[in-house]
Amino acid sequence: MERILFYILALIMIGFALASVMSRRMLRSVIYLLFVLCAVAGVYFMMDYNFLAAIQLTIYAGGIIVLIIFSVLLVHHIEMRMEIARPTRQLLTALACSLGLAAFLSVIYTYDFQVSGPGPGTEVSVIGAKLLDYGEGGFILPFEVISVLLLAAMVGAIVIAKGTKLSENKNEVK
Amino acid sequence: MGSEAIIVFFLAGVVLVTGANFLSNLISPKSDSDAKRAPYESGMTTIGPTWVQFKVGYYLFAILFLVFDVEIAFLVPWAVAYKGIGAIAFVEVLIFLFILGLGLLYAWKKGALKWK
Amino acid sequence: MDMETLLLLRQEVSLLLIALVLLLFEIFANDRNRAGVVSLAIVLFGLHTALGFMDMKEGELFGGMFRTNALIHMFKNILNLGVLIVLLQSAEWVKKELIPQNRGTEFFILMLSSLLGLQFLISSGDFLMFYLGLELSTLPLAALAAFEIYRMRSSEAGIKLILSSALASGITLFGISLLYASSGSIYYAELQGAISENPLTVLAMILFFAGLGFKISLVPFHFWTADVYEGAPIGIASYLSVISKGAAIFILMILFFTVLKPLMHLWENLFYLLSVLTMFLGNLFALRQQNMKRFLAFSSIAQAGFILLGLITGTTLGVATVIYFILIYIFSNLAAFGVVQAISTETGKEQLQDYEGLYRTNPKLSLVMMLGLFSLAGIPPVAGFFGKFFLFTAAASKGYYFLVFLAVVNVTISLYYYLLVVRAMFLRKSEHPIPYFTNTVYMRIGLVITVIGILALGLYSPIYDYIYALSSTLN
Repeated sequence: MERILFYILALIMIGFALASVMSRRMLRSVIYLLFVLCAVAGVYFMMDYNFLAAIQLTIYAGGIIVLIIFSVLLVHHIEMRMEIARPTRQLLTALACSLGLAAFLSVIYTYDFQVSGPGPGTEVSVIGAKLLDYGEGGFILPFEVISVLLLAAMVGAIVIAKGTKLSENKNEVK
Repeated sequence: MGSEAIIVFFLAGVVLVTGANFLSNLISPKSDSDAKRAPYESGMTTIGPTWVQFKVGYYLFAILFLVFDVEIAFLVPWAVAYKGIGAIAFVEVLIFLFILGLGLLYAWKKGALKWK
Repeated sequence: MDMETLLLLRQEVSLLLIALVLLLFEIFANDRNRAGVVSLAIVLFGLHTALGFMDMKEGELFGGMFRTNALIHMFKNILNLGVLIVLLQSAEWVKKELIPQNRGTEFFILMLSSLLGLQFLISSGDFLMFYLGLELSTLPLAALAAFEIYRMRSSEAGIKLILSSALASGITLFGISLLYASSGSIYYAELQGAISENPLTVLAMILFFAGLGFKISLVPFHFWTADVYEGAPIGIASYLSVISKGAAIFILMILFFTVLKPLMHLWENLFYLLSVLTMFLGNLFALRQQNMKRFLAFSSIAQAGFILLGLITGTTLGVATVIYFILIYIFSNLAAFGVVQAISTETGKEQLQDYEGLYRTNPKLSLVMMLGLFSLAGIPPVAGFFGKFFLFTAAASKGYYFLVFLAVVNVTISLYYYLLVVRAMFLRKSEHPIPYFTNTVYMRIGLVITVIGILALGLYSPIYDYIYALSSTLN
C-alpha cells in the first residue's frame, strides 16, 4: 500500500516538475511547482515526518509560492512566453541531462547503503529539544544563526525593493 | 498503517469532484460563442491589457510574511519543548526574537509596512 | 553557556553586535545625523579588527559544530583586515551615493552580515554550519551587488550573482547529502575516518567541489564573475574578489586536507586540470579587457588558478603558502581595486584608456596602482613575487614540474597585461587625462594600509614563518 502511494506521489512530483520546467508561461510554471512541493510534503507524511511536512506546506507551498507569484506579477511583460530553443540545442540538452541522470542513478543504485539505527524520533517535542540543546548533537547555534540570516534577507529585500523609486515614478507617468 | 483510509479518502475526493463536474456538464444548458469566451472585468469588456504589473508593495508584504512564517516554524518546536528545558530555552529564544524584532522595527521605520 | 563559550565565539558575537548597533542606529536616526553612520561603522569595525588580534584559545563548541584554533583565528583576522580596507575604500562612495538615498547603513549591515557568514563558514565543524555560513555570506552579497538598483547593470549583477550562487549551493548541498548518505554523519570529526573511496563519495566530492568552485570562480564555474564584477558597485566587486574568495579557498583547503584526504589521489588530478584551465582562460581573457573592473575580474580568476598550485600538494607547506599567498593577494588586489574605486567615485571613469597619463596628474594614485599590479604580477622585489614563488616551490616539492612550468608561462602572459595598465598610466600621454583630485582621509588610510601590507609582507619574513608554524596545526 505504502509503495503504491509512494509511486503516485513520485509520479505527481516528476510530472509536475517536468511541466514546470517545460511550460512557456511563467505563472503556470509556478503553479506546477506548487503541486511538486505539495507532493514532497506527502512524502514527508509517509515517512512520519509530520512536523517537516507541515512546515513544507506552510512555508514552501504557502509562503514561497506566494512570494514567487508576486515576483512574477512584478514582471513588466508577463504575457510574454518563453522562447523555444533550437532543435539541435534541445537535443543536446536532453542528451546531457539524460547522461547525467544515468550517471547519478547508476552510482546511487549500485551503492550498498547501510541502514542506520533508529533516530531520536520525529515528534515536535524532540525536534524542539534538539533545536535548543547546546551540547553534543544540539542545534542551538544554527538556530540563532538562522535569525541573523532572516534579518539579513529582510534588510536586503527591503533595501532593494524600496530603492526602485526612479522606475516606479516612470510607470506612474505611463 | 492508516494509508488505506487515506487512499479511500483520496478516491472518494476524486470521485466526488469529477462526478460533480461531469454531472453538471451533462445536465447544464450549453451555449458557445466568441463573446462568451472574451475576458471581462465587472461585466464589461476590459480596457487595455488584462495583465498589469503589480506594485512592489505586494512583494514586500510577501517577503515579510515569509520571514515571519519561517520564524513561526522555529517557534513551534520551541513552544512544545519549552517545559522540559526551562530558563535557558527562554533566553535562547529571546535572542532569536530580539534579532527578528529589530528586523520588524527596521521594516516599520523604512515604511515597508505602509501601503502606498 | 558560560564565559568560555563567549570567549571562543567573541569574533562572531562582536560582529553581530556591531551589525545590530548599526541597525538600531538606522531605526532611530533622523535625516540630520544619518551621515554619521560611515564614521560609526568604520570606527566600530576598526575596534573589532584590532581586538581580533588578541589571542584565542583552541576549542570546540556546541558539540563540535563550531570550532576554532590559532589557524582559523588568524584567518578570521585576515578577513577582518580585508573588510576594513574595503569599508575604508567604499566610505566616500557610500557618503556620496547612498546616504542621500537613505541606504548607507544597510550597506554596512549587509556587508558585516556577509562577513559573519564567512566567519561561521571557516570555523564550521559540521556541514550544517558550513551551509548556513555559505548562505549567510552569499545572500547579503546579492543584495549588495544590486545596490545601485537604478543602474541596469547593477541589478543585472545582483540577479546573476543570486542565480549562480543558488545553483552553486544547490550543487554543494547535493554533494553534502551524498556524503551524509554514505557515512551517516555531517560532523567533520566523524566523517574524517568514515570516508572510503567508492563511486558515491567520489561523486559527492566532485559536486561539493563544484559548488565551492563557483565561489572561487574556477574555470568551468567562472562565467558569472566578469559580469558581476563589472555591474556591482566596486566595493562589492573587491569584496567578492578577495574576501569571499579567500574564505572559500580556506574552507576548501581545510575540508579537502582533512575530511576528504582519503580521496586525495583523485582530487589531485581534478585540481591539476582546473588549475591549468583557470590560469590560461583567466589570463587570455584578461588580455582583451578594456574595462578595468572586467580586467581585474579575469585577473582574479587567473590568480585562483595559481592558488590551486598550492592546494594540489595537500601538505603543511601547501597550507602555509596558500594562506600567505591569499594574504598578499588581498592587499595587492585591494590596492588595485582601491585606486579604481577612488577614480570611479571621483570621475565615474572605468575604462583603461581613461587611465592614460594618470601619472602626470595623480602620481600617488598611479604609484599605488603600480605597486598593486606589480604584486599581482609577481615582479621580484614586491610581495607578490614571494607569494607566487612559494606556491611554485610547494608544487615543485611534490614533483609537479610541468604544472609549475605552465604556471610560469602564465605569469609571463599576465606580466604583459599588467604592464599594459602601467604603461597607460606612466608612458602614455592623453588629451583628457583624469584631473588632479585629493582623496578623502578614509580612502587614503585604506590605500596606505594596502601599500604597507604589500611592502611588509615582501620584506619582513617572520610573517611567513609564523603562518608556517600555525599551518602545522591543521589536523
